[in-house]
Amino acid sequence: MRVFVTGIGIVSPLAIGAEKTMDRLVSGARAFRPVTLFDTADQCTHQAAEVAGLSVSDVAPSGDRKAWSRTDAMAAIAAREALAAARIDPATTAIDLAIGGTTGGMFETERLLAEMHRDPNRREPLELMLSHPLSATSDRLRAAIGPFRRARSVCSACSGGANAILLGAAWIRAGRAHSVLAGGADGLCRLTFTGFNALSAVAPDACRPFDRRRSGLGLGEGAAFLVLESDVSLRERGGEPIAELAGWGVGSEAHHITNPERGGDTAAALVTKALLCGGLSSRDLDYVNAHGTGTPLNDAMEAAALRKALGPEADRIPVSSCKGQIGHTLGAAGAIEAAVTVLAIARGELPPTGGLEDPDPDCNLVHVIGRGKKATVRAALSNSFGFGGTDTVLLFTRPSLARKQHAPAQRRPIVVTGAATLGALGLHGSEGSREYLEAGPPATSAKLEFEAKDHFDLGRARRMDRSARLLAMAMQVAVKEANGQSALSELGAIAGSAYGTVDSSAEFIRRIYEKGARLASPMVFPNLVPSSPVGHAAIYLGIRGPVLSTADLGVTGEAAFGLACELLEVGEARAMLAGGVEEHSAITERVLGPVCSGSANWKGVRTEGASIVVLEDEAHAAARGAKPLCNVIHVAGGRGTFSAAAASLPEPPRGRAIAVGARRDESTLSALAMTGWASVPFFDVASRAGNHEGLGGFCIAAAAAAIAAGRADGALVLGIAPDRWAAIVLGGR
Amino acid sequence: MPRRGVAPVLACANLAPDRRLMDKAALSHEIREIIVRELKLEGKTPADIDEQAPLFGEGLGLDSLDALQLAMVIEETYQVKIPDGGEERRIFASVASIADFIARSRVATSVGQGRS
Repeated sequence: MRVFVTGIGIVSPLAIGAEKTMDRLVSGARAFRPVTLFDTADQCTHQAAEVAGLSVSDVAPSGDRKAWSRTDAMAAIAAREALAAARIDPATTAIDLAIGGTTGGMFETERLLAEMHRDPNRREPLELMLSHPLSATSDRLRAAIGPFRRARSVCSACSGGANAILLGAAWIRAGRAHSVLAGGADGLCRLTFTGFNALSAVAPDACRPFDRRRSGLGLGEGAAFLVLESDVSLRERGGEPIAELAGWGVGSEAHHITNPERGGDTAAALVTKALLCGGLSSRDLDYVNAHGTGTPLNDAMEAAALRKALGPEADRIPVSSCKGQIGHTLGAAGAIEAAVTVLAIARGELPPTGGLEDPDPDCNLVHVIGRGKKATVRAALSNSFGFGGTDTVLLFTRPSLARKQHAPAQRRPIVVTGAATLGALGLHGSEGSREYLEAGPPATSAKLEFEAKDHFDLGRARRMDRSARLLAMAMQVAVKEANGQSALSELGAIAGSAYGTVDSSAEFIRRIYEKGARLASPMVFPNLVPSSPVGHAAIYLGIRGPVLSTADLGVTGEAAFGLACELLEVGEARAMLAGGVEEHSAITERVLGPVCSGSANWKGVRTEGASIVVLEDEAHAAARGAKPLCNVIHVAGGRGTFSAAAASLPEPPRGRAIAVGARRDESTLSALAMTGWASVPFFDVASRAGNHEGLGGFCIAAAAAAIAAGRADGALVLGIAPDRWAAIVLGGR
Repeated sequence: MPRRGVAPVLACANLAPDRRLMDKAALSHEIREIIVRELKLEGKTPADIDEQAPLFGEGLGLDSLDALQLAMVIEETYQVKIPDGGEERRIFASVASIADFIARSRVATSVGQGRS
C-alpha cells in the first residue's frame, strides 16, 4: 500500500492556516515576541512564538468550554482544515487518528497541580483535570470532530508529531486503514518555558539555527495534521494527492536524555534508511527540512549527520529549519514541519532559516538565508530528533499515482517471547505472573519496596526516576526471559503512562511559584516529559529501535501492546518491548485516577506497578531460535462502547480458553457477555495486583504464561474503560 | 530511592545569614553533600569525593546536565552568582575550586526571587 498526503492543516505562531503559514514562512517573517500567556519576569528569557488570535472558547463545543485546553483548540482547528482540504467527513468516511504531543493540557493544569501538591485532596475544577492525561486531546478531537475508528496518542518528545505520521502510515501499509488523520499539537506553558530555560537551552536573544552565534532554541506552540490516504482509497474516490509519503526511518540513539550523540551516526543512518525505503538516493533529493533547533549541539550534530548520509550531494541540496521562525513546537514540531515539507514540494518553494546570518563553518550545508526561494522539489526529507534520542526521518515526494504499486499490504505474524510484571507479588517473569490469576490475598500497600542497587548499576541509572526504574526492572526480566541478548540490536520499546510523572511535575511547578523560575531544577525537567520513563529505560538497556510512550486512559497497557504490534507487523521493528507503568502518587491515587479513569468505584488499593511483554515478528523469533510463549491472533481497540466490536472477535479455540481483564467490574463483564467468550472462565488481576494503569500488561503477561504452561489453548484479554475498549486474542503454538 | 519532596537545600537557605563565611573544611564537606544528594550519586558518600579531583569529564565523570543542576543549587544555597561566559568550567573544576569561589564572593546578589 502506498501512502499519500491529501490534506494539510496548520496552526502556527505565524498564522492560522496552512497556506498563510507557508506564505509567511517563505517571506522570512519571524514570530518571536514577548510572552503574553504568562509572566516571565522571573525567567532568564522572555520571548516565544505564541499562536495569536486563538480563542479556546470559540473552538470548544459549548458545554466543554471550561475544559478544553489551548492544545485541544489548536489541534481541532488544524484537524478541521486538513479534513476539509482532503474533502473527508469523518461522519461518512472511516478515518483513524494518530496524534503526538507532550504538554497536552499542562498550561491549564499547571497551577492546579502546584496547589494539589499542597492539598492532594483538592478536586476542583474537575473539568480542568481531565486535560491532564496524554490522551485528552485525542479524546476531545473525537468528541468534536470524529468519530474516529481508532485513536492513538503518542509521545516521543520532540519527534512525537513525526512518529504519529509514521504510525498512521504503518496502519495504511498494513491494510488496517485507508485514511488517517495524523499529526501533533502542543501548547506553550510555564512548565516547559521554565524547564528549557533551566537547561540553559533557550537563546537569550533570538533563535539562529546553524549560525555561528547560535545559543539555543526559541519555544513555540502549534498544531498540524496531514490526511494520509492509501492509493486504493484515492483511486476509489478520485482524490487528488498533494504528495507521497514515500519513505521513513525511526530509531534511537541510546545516548543521553537531553544531549544528542555528537557524530550524528543514528540520524545519518535514518536518513539513509528513509531514502532506501523510498527507493531513492541523495541524487533525487532536493530539500531537507531540518530539526535545526538552534542549540549548539543539535545543529552541529545534524549537519554532520546530513554530510555523512548525503555525501557530495550535500553541496547541492538546500537545508532550512522552521524553528528560526516559529520556534520549537515540541510535540507538534514533527507534524508542522512535515506539513511545511509537503508544501515545499507542492508549491515549489523553500522557506528560509530565520535568524541565520553567519553560518557556522561546522554546519557546512547549503543554507537558505533571508527570504525563501522558488525551487523544483522532487523529493524532500523532514527530520525530527527527540529528547531521549528517538529520531525520526520522513521522506516525501511528488505524487505520482501512475507509478506501479511497490508493496502490497503486509502483516507479519507476531509472537510473544517473554514477559515480566513488577507489582504486589514482586518482580516476576511470565510464569510467576500467572499467580495474578489465582485467588489469594489482595494487594495492601500502595508502594513497592526495592533496593535500587540490587537491580541497577547505580552509576548508569542515577538519572532514572521511579517510573523509569520500575519500567527498567520489568524490561530486564522480560528481556532475559526472551533470551534477549541477541534481540537487542533491533529492539524498540513502547511504554504507556497515562498520567506522566504527576508528583514530579507538581513539585517542579510548585517550586517555580514559590522560589521563582531561576531556581527550577534542570535535572528534574527532562523527566517530566511523558516519554521520559521509557526513554531513560531504553538508554539504560541500550535499545536502538523506535522508543515511544503512549496513553489511553484505563487501557494504557493494552494500547502499548497494540501500538507495538502495529509497528511490528509492517516491519518497523523486529522486536518490541511493550508495557506500562504507573508510579505511586498521592495526586493520582486520590484525584486523577478516580476522576479520569472512571474507577471511582474501585474499592481496593490503588497501587503502582510496571509490566513488559516481549513481542517479535515470528520470523525474527524463529531465526534466533527463540521459543515463543504464544501467538498474537488478534489485536483491536477503539473508542466508544464495545458492543459494536463484539461480533468481530475471533471465536475461542477448541480446548480450554480463558478471558482476562484488569478488574472484575460491571462494564468488563457485560462486554464479555456480548462475545463468543462469554462462557469461558474469567479472571481479573486487580484482585491481587491492586488498581493502576499498567494492569493491561499484567493481564497479557499472565494470559501468555497460562498458554505457555499448557493451562489454556487461547486467551482473550479485554480492556474496558469509559468510552474505549481494547481486545487482544492470544493463541497456543 | 530518595524521597521526593521539598529539597533540603531550601532549609539551608533560611539558616545563618552568610554561609560563605563558613569554615573551609565544613564548606568543603557541605559541597560534597550537595553533590551526592542533588546529582543522585547513590552508593557514594561525601567522603568518597576527593576535594581536588576533577568533577567533570574524568574523575567523577559528571556532565553538562549535572553542571546546570549544581550551579542552580550552589547559587541558591550560598546566595552567589556564577558569572556567565566560560568561568563556570574553572569554578566547577573541583570541590576545592567551588569552595574557593564561594569564600571569595563578596557580592550577595539575590538569585531567584521566589517570594514575589
